[in-house]
Amino acid sequence: MKLRTFLVLSGLSFVLFVAVNLISWQLPLAIPQSAAAGKLVWQHHNCISCHTLFGNGGYVGEDLTHIVAKYSSSELVTYLVNPPVMRPNKHTLHPALSEPDAEQLVTYLEYVRTLPTLGWPPQPEKAGDYR
Amino acid sequence: MKLLRSLALAARPVQPEPHFRAQQFSRIYCLTAAGLFALQAIVAMLGALDLVIPDLPSPIPFEYGRAIHLGLAEMWPLIATMGMVYFFVTAELKREIYSPRLARWQFWLALAFTLSIYGTLALRIGNGREFLDGLPVLYLGLCSTLAVAVYNLLRTLLASGKQVTPAAVTMTVGMVFLLLLLLPNTIHYSNPIADEATKFWVVHLWEEMAFELTSAGFIAAFFITSGIAVRSQVEKWLYLEASFAVAAGLYSTGHHYYWIGFPAIWLAIGSLVSLLQVIPVGMLVHMTYKGLKAAKLTSKREKLTLWLVLSSLFYHVTGASLLGLLITVPWVNLYMHGTYVTSGHAHLALFGSLGFVVLAGCYYILSRGSEPSSRGYKAAVVAVVLLNVGLVIMGSALIVAGTLQSYLWRFLGNSFMQVSAVINPYLILRVLGGSLFALGDLLLFGVLFGAWRQTKAHPVGKP
Repeated sequence: MKLRTFLVLSGLSFVLFVAVNLISWQLPLAIPQSAAAGKLVWQHHNCISCHTLFGNGGYVGEDLTHIVAKYSSSELVTYLVNPPVMRPNKHTLHPALSEPDAEQLVTYLEYVRTLPTLGWPPQPEKAGDYR
Repeated sequence: MKLLRSLALAARPVQPEPHFRAQQFSRIYCLTAAGLFALQAIVAMLGALDLVIPDLPSPIPFEYGRAIHLGLAEMWPLIATMGMVYFFVTAELKREIYSPRLARWQFWLALAFTLSIYGTLALRIGNGREFLDGLPVLYLGLCSTLAVAVYNLLRTLLASGKQVTPAAVTMTVGMVFLLLLLLPNTIHYSNPIADEATKFWVVHLWEEMAFELTSAGFIAAFFITSGIAVRSQVEKWLYLEASFAVAAGLYSTGHHYYWIGFPAIWLAIGSLVSLLQVIPVGMLVHMTYKGLKAAKLTSKREKLTLWLVLSSLFYHVTGASLLGLLITVPWVNLYMHGTYVTSGHAHLALFGSLGFVVLAGCYYILSRGSEPSSRGYKAAVVAVVLLNVGLVIMGSALIVAGTLQSYLWRFLGNSFMQVSAVINPYLILRVLGGSLFALGDLLLFGVLFGAWRQTKAHPVGKP
């Protein structure tokens, strides 16, 4: 293989890759302003270091992609504003958020719930203490 | 310090080889990278301990410590690669880099931006993006250093005309891709799907495409110099291997797109193209096997470099290719994604295949003009063994923990916290593996520092 062939192949592969990415990451529903603000809260508090979203992130806490299907918005806001001790710690609390921040974050998680994740996270095959 | 001094004094200077100013600067890139690698081991150990010791006090909270750990995992190979590319491109082209002054400024800029990222993260200032945490302006600064490198390398290649070699071109294209893939990560995305996808342009594509190109160039140059392979043979396959690395690397990113909101077609693209990624690895292993059968290395310096390259190839085949292929099967990935299996794969693939080859390059460059004494050689071999044993224990413990999570949590539906208690012993085992790894890391840093001191005291001649 010659230099020119390598350069042309590499360049074309990259341009095509970027193009298909731009098409593929279009949102099915535009993100509401409050959810976009919630994403900033998510990033500001570095939630990704302990929790996963779409399965990507830290494994200390539970995945939050579909957390709004398990807990109501008010339960989640209460948890974030008055955080409990994080097990197995005896003293360390979950980081606390202000109420407006907590509400925006939950709005963001509600939005994430609407994104098409192709059946992930999987439904357990047998009945168990999922909650 | 005494140990470092003894390792330094133990190395013996050998006949000087001609070198260029860019090669002199590459030494400081490599030494700095080795220092960041040592820091990485300490930060990672503290993070792993934090996970198994409840209420462990720490001046830096776990979430920012983890961000520093993940950032360092990308940044020390980047700084080493900048130096390696300058070293081997000038060696291949047998000419000075276009602007040695730019190469020197590039180092100080890269170091300033890197330290600024970790300094601000230690002060809890970041942007909350996994692997790319830190103020975006600092990542833009890193892009500027990559742009300087690309400009310098392209001008050097253009000045060489028809004398350019495939290894020099492959390494330069690797640097171009490092820049192109980092740039989109300097802006904020409200779209969570785009945010996730562009993250993998660095997390996946830096390692499995851009660094693959720079490493292929280094390995080709090393094999030619040490007589493991003949130049004509290497140059026959290098562009082909590089083309496979680019095309397969790009579209295999699809295996990270399965569940982040991309269309279902990416399940097919990601899994099928991931199969092609094995081809360049197979070509490299085949050439190494043939070369090792034919060539006999007498230099301890080259043997040590080869041990590190072979370690990299081992994880390339096992941790990156075989385990990687298994977990890219969508039906398997559905259950294993988001568990410690991914973490085990990442440790084996990121450090295993990339880290070892970068360390090989650093050692080769820093020890240039010297031969290790038998004491220094033994210390280096012990370091390589500790790194390998520690990494295998760490990787295996994480894979077992992740498999248990997949079955008990994802498949059976037990609660996350119940399963976390079950896997805790494996996380303790991970700490033990990590301790061995950190020991090997610090010992190897001592060897590299010793080689640097020795060759600094006996500078090699200029052409």
